[in-house]
Formats: sequence, C-alpha cells, structure tokens
Amino acid sequence: MRKIIVVAIREYLAAVRSKAFIITILLMPVLMSSGFIAEELFGDTSMDISDKRVAIVDHSGAIYDALAAAAESRNAVDIFTEPAEGGDPEQMLPRFLLQRVAPNPQAPDEVLFDLSERVRAGTLFAFVEIGRDVLAPESEKPDHATVKYYTNSPTYRETHVWLKTTINDVVQSIRFHDSGLDADQVSRALEPAAIDQLGLLDRNQTTGEITRAEEISQTISVVVPIILVILLFMVIMTAAGPLIQSVLEEKLQRIAEVLLGCVDPFRWMMGKLIGMVGVSLTIVTLYLAGGLIVAYERGILSLLPMHLLGWFAVYQILAVLMYGAVFVGVGAACSDHREAQTALTPLMILIMVPMLLLESVIREPNSTMATLVSFFPPVTPVLMLTRQAIPPGIPGWQPIVGVTLVLATTVLCVFAAGRVFRIGILMQGRGAGLRDMLKWMLKG
Amino acid sequence: MAAAVELTNVTKRFGTHVAVDNLTLCVPTGSVYGFIGPNGSGKTTTLRMIMRNFYPNAGAVRVFGEDVIGKGAAAERVGYLPEERGLYKTMKVRDTLRFYAELKGYRNPRREIDRWLERVDLAEWGNKKVEALSKGMAQKVQFIAAVIAKPDLIILDEPFTGLDPVNANLLRDVILELRRDGATVILSTHDMSVAEKMCDAIFMICNGRKVLDGSLAEIQAAYGTDTLRVRVELNGKTLEGLPGVVGVSDFGQYQELRVEQGADTQDILRKLLERGRVDHFERTHPSLHDVFVRIAGPESQETQHA
Repeated sequence: MRKIIVVAIREYLAAVRSKAFIITILLMPVLMSSGFIAEELFGDTSMDISDKRVAIVDHSGAIYDALAAAAESRNAVDIFTEPAEGGDPEQMLPRFLLQRVAPNPQAPDEVLFDLSERVRAGTLFAFVEIGRDVLAPESEKPDHATVKYYTNSPTYRETHVWLKTTINDVVQSIRFHDSGLDADQVSRALEPAAIDQLGLLDRNQTTGEITRAEEISQTISVVVPIILVILLFMVIMTAAGPLIQSVLEEKLQRIAEVLLGCVDPFRWMMGKLIGMVGVSLTIVTLYLAGGLIVAYERGILSLLPMHLLGWFAVYQILAVLMYGAVFVGVGAACSDHREAQTALTPLMILIMVPMLLLESVIREPNSTMATLVSFFPPVTPVLMLTRQAIPPGIPGWQPIVGVTLVLATTVLCVFAAGRVFRIGILMQGRGAGLRDMLKWMLKG
Repeated sequence: MAAAVELTNVTKRFGTHVAVDNLTLCVPTGSVYGFIGPNGSGKTTTLRMIMRNFYPNAGAVRVFGEDVIGKGAAAERVGYLPEERGLYKTMKVRDTLRFYAELKGYRNPRREIDRWLERVDLAEWGNKKVEALSKGMAQKVQFIAAVIAKPDLIILDEPFTGLDPVNANLLRDVILELRRDGATVILSTHDMSVAEKMCDAIFMICNGRKVLDGSLAEIQAAYGTDTLRVRVELNGKTLEGLPGVVGVSDFGQYQELRVEQGADTQDILRKLLERGRVDHFERTHPSLHDVFVRIAGPESQETQHA
C-alpha cells in the first residue's frame, strides 16, 4: 500500500504543478464567467443601439399608418430605461425608423431588388412586404395574405420580433373593428390566466405547520444538472486524459524499466490512478467551492440540490478510475504519441455519448430510453447524475444499481488494464493491436 | 557461500524466438559477477527475469532463495540500473532520489541523498531539474537511484557507457566500495577490460545459451597458453603465413597470435625476426576480448549455424 501512495503522491504533484494544470484551473472559471465580466466592464455600451431603418411596402394600404404610429411611440418611450432620480433616461434599444415605399404592380420584383440593394449598401437595415390580402387570410391567393421580412442580418431578432408582434396587433385590431367588436373587450377576454410553477408542500415536524415549498425555478432545474454534467465531463478530461501521456512518457523515456525494478505493475498503475483521483477531487473542490460562493452571494444557495454532491463525488471517482484505467492500458500498448491519438479517438467518442444524449434525457429523465441508457456503465456517471438532478428525481434503487454496475466495470477495467500495462509498458518499437491487447487481458 | 541469484534450467521465449535457453547459473553472495555476450544474446532478458519484469517460461529464478514467480512486489533488496536510462525530466534531482528511495521502502532518505550527491560530485545539482543535467550527470543520478536504498544485490547494465574516464573511475570505486560493504554486484558490460579488472567471475551468454562461466583464471586456463603477444616492427610486411599460427589480431601497438596446439614457438620467433625487429615476445593466455571474439565472432557463428 505504501508504494501505491508514493506513486500516487508523485503523480498528483507532477500533475498539479504542471503549467497546463494551473492554467486550466485559473483560466476555466475566467472563461466561463467572461460573459458576466464583459457585462460588468462594458455595461450598456456593449448594446447595439444604432438606428434600424426599415422600409415598408404595404400592398394592402391599411397597415403602414398604424405601424408607423406604433414605431414612433416605441422610439419615444419603450427603448429607454426608467430614469433614475434626477438623472436622464438611458437608451437601451435601437430606434426603428420606418419608411413607406410605394408598391409598383407592374414590376413588383424591381422594387424588392432596389430595396435589397439598399440593404446591401447599408442605408437600410431590412424591409417588409405586406401582402394585399393581409386582412383577409381566407384569400384565394395565400401569397397575398402573408407578410414578408427581408434582411441580410437573420440572427438579429429584435426588429423581426417587434414587427411580427406589432403588425399582428394592427391586423387584429382592424379585423375586430371591421367585425364590429371592441378591441379592448376582446383583449380582456383573451387575457391569459397566470400559472406559477411550485414545488410540493411540507409539514414541519416540530411545529406541525404546513409550509409552502420554494418556487421551483425552471432555469435552476435545468442549469444545475447541465453544470454538474459539464464539470464531471471536464474532470474526466482533465484528470484521466493526461494519464495516457504520462504512461507514454514513462514508456518512451525508458523510465518504466527502472520503476518496474521498484514496484510491480499493478501497484504502479493503481498509484497513478489514485493520484489522478486526487487531481480530480482538487479540481472539483475548487470549482464547486467557487460555484457555491457565487450561489450564496446571489441568494440561490437554498435552491441548489445539495444532496447530489455526495453522488457527484462517487460518480466522479468511479469515472476517473474507469476511464483512467482504460487510458493507462491504451498508453502502455501504444508506441508513440500519434498512435496514442488514434487510439484515443474511439474513447473520446464514448465519453462524448452522454453529452449527445443529454438534451433528451433532461427533457424526459424517466423515459424508457433515458432509464435504460443510464444503466450502461460508461455513460452511467453522467446520465444517472443528470436524471437524479432533475426534479422529482428517480427511484432510489436506480442510482444504487447504476453505481454497482459502474463499480464492477471499473474493477474489470483496472484488472484488464493492469495486465495490458504489465506487458505493454516494456514493449518497444511496435505498438500492440487490439488482438494483442485482448490476448494479454485474457491470458495475462 | 549462499547464492544471491540462482537460475535453474531457465527458458524464456518471445513467440517462437527463444531468448534464453535452458540456462543454469549461480551468482554467489558478495561477488562481482560479469555478464558478457554479444548484442541480442539474452543478457538483458536474463537480467529482467532476475528483476521479475519477465517471468520465465520454464525453470526457476531465485533471488536470495525466493522464487521470483508469484511474489507481489519486486524484491526490496535489489537495485537496478538498466541499460536504457530514463528519469522524469521535470522532477528535481532530490525529489527523484527521494521517490526511488521511498519506493524501495527507505524512509527519511534526506541525509543519505546528501551523502550520495556529495560522493558523486553532484551536491550543487540537487535542486535542479533532471532536464538541466548533462548525460553523464543524469547517469550518475540514476546510479544513485539504484543504490540509494542500500540493496543487497545491485544489477548494473552497462554502467560506464557515456562516462568520461574520471567519472568512470569514480563509479568503479563506488561499486567496489558497495561490494566491500557486502553487496553482490551483477555487472553487464561490453567492455572486456572492465570485466577482466573488476569481476570475480564472468558469465557469457550467446544465442540464449551459457557459453562461459567461471573466474577469469578458470576461463583462461580452459583455453591454455595458446596465445603469443608480440610487438614487431614490420616495416610494411604482414604477419600472415607464419607457420603454426591460426589467427592474428592486430591491436596497433601490439599483436596477438593464436598458435596451433604443439606448434614450435621458437620457430615462430625466428620467422618473426626475419620479418622485422621484435621488441616484445610473450607466451600467454588469451585475453577475454579474444575469447569473446572466438566464441561470438562471425567465423564461430558460421560454424555454429552450419
């Protein structure tokens, strides 16, 4: 056991003292929070408030005036913040400046082309073509009843969204008026009822009072599992990944033979794995502590599923051991870095699988697919954790069975990798094929 | 004397290739035992079996009476300097030595590390990273790593390669000191003069088989005094065609003539005087170098394969 600890300490120190590790540890939170930092530094100046000129070709002739009036009202009021006491209101959104363009029934496409050229030249941001029959959707020619928004900045949503909402409001208002309905009465009648999403009620064991559960935040329910999963994924990559390089260094630099004179291969490998578990725990402790401090400062600490931290630790340790053992075995069987890269590709795909399934598992954590897949040991750590993190959680036996399966797989991986490692580490010149590795695993 | 290492009918195969073939050998405690043999003859494989890095396919390997098969850890009592050296490049010298000492179960090795660094003139390099060392320095560090935990058996594979004469002398003195303190040393080398000068006994392996085993005197006695060491000023003439001479080795400053059994050496001397001035004429045993070449040279290999 003492030798395992000596190797583990060396591995741990070599990893945490490396520049790559220090940079990763420091840089990752900076990168992850760079959005907040940029917002703090640049504040509102980062917002695009340049005027957006939009041409309107109104074939119906009934929409433009109301639309222009709505745009003026928006430009005068809606785009400004509430003025602070004694201060001036601050513009937060761009002005929309509308221009009427007369349609040309003889050459409708010519008009649209001219407008396109103006957009390309930058004198116009976008243009809208309102169909002739926009007020009569049952028109025989559906094309005449549509509104078309033309732009070369399709990702900028603000103009599109405002136009869509406002044109619809105007169209509905005119249709109500034409039908003899009062627009205000109709909108009151259509006002949706507010629906709040809440957790379940509890009874206080000492006082007997019934307490309301905290309001469930949809965002936290989804974001927390995603953060935990990304953290787990990152830990596997940061801690287990370098093992392949470290084994290759020992093999290629001929350190292996000296080490084998001091410690048997299995203990050596276990030492390396335990060292890496230490590295992963260091990363997780630093990041989780940082995350909890941020959560505390923002007052959302009580909303976080703290009961998951224990499970997280279990999954993380097992994942690092399981993947780490495979990486060690592969590293020992390879004869150079290029070969190691090739061998790593299928392993990386395996590690990526849960990330690809993540969205559907978050949406339906208790579907048959999600349940079955989460029992597949290579993906159990990530997917089972995700399912546990999403309220209302999963039956208690599932994570226990999942962890048992992962544990069994880990033991198997460590055992097989130990055999591959023992033979592969002294092989020089030629890398081992899959068949060789299988033979070593089975025969020792 | 009890055996430090004992191999009994040991065979090691890699696929169809037989690297070591039915080898039996006994290395007595407290001796310096030379392992010689041509490249690829099975020396390193034999050493790796003693180190438990390889298990034999047949036969038994015992180190201090313990069978190497089935034991968990490599023997704490053995220190090993392999031919192909390697150290963690980014580790400091002191950390490296502490790591190896602790792996061998040596606790608190700080003073011992200081003593060794002082002994091999590396005291001021202790806090430098290994990558900053010259090749010779790194080799000395690796040597200390092999002996820091005071092993009873020290296996040194080509320990002098790459060292200048001063450092080679230093290392030789240290090895002999370790032997005086009771350690057994197995010294694998291609340098026959080192083997002749330092080893109590010499074992030679060729094509996986033992071809020599014994003290230098015993080996030389087996070959008799069939060698003439001469120094002749030839003035452009050669030593070919002398009566009773079956082989000539020219070392530049002197020549060795291998003579037939029963050949008249006085007759050879007369013929030599006819060819030039003879400054030195000595009837002697063959050198270890000569024995090695006779066994492993191309002519011998051809005969063995025929």
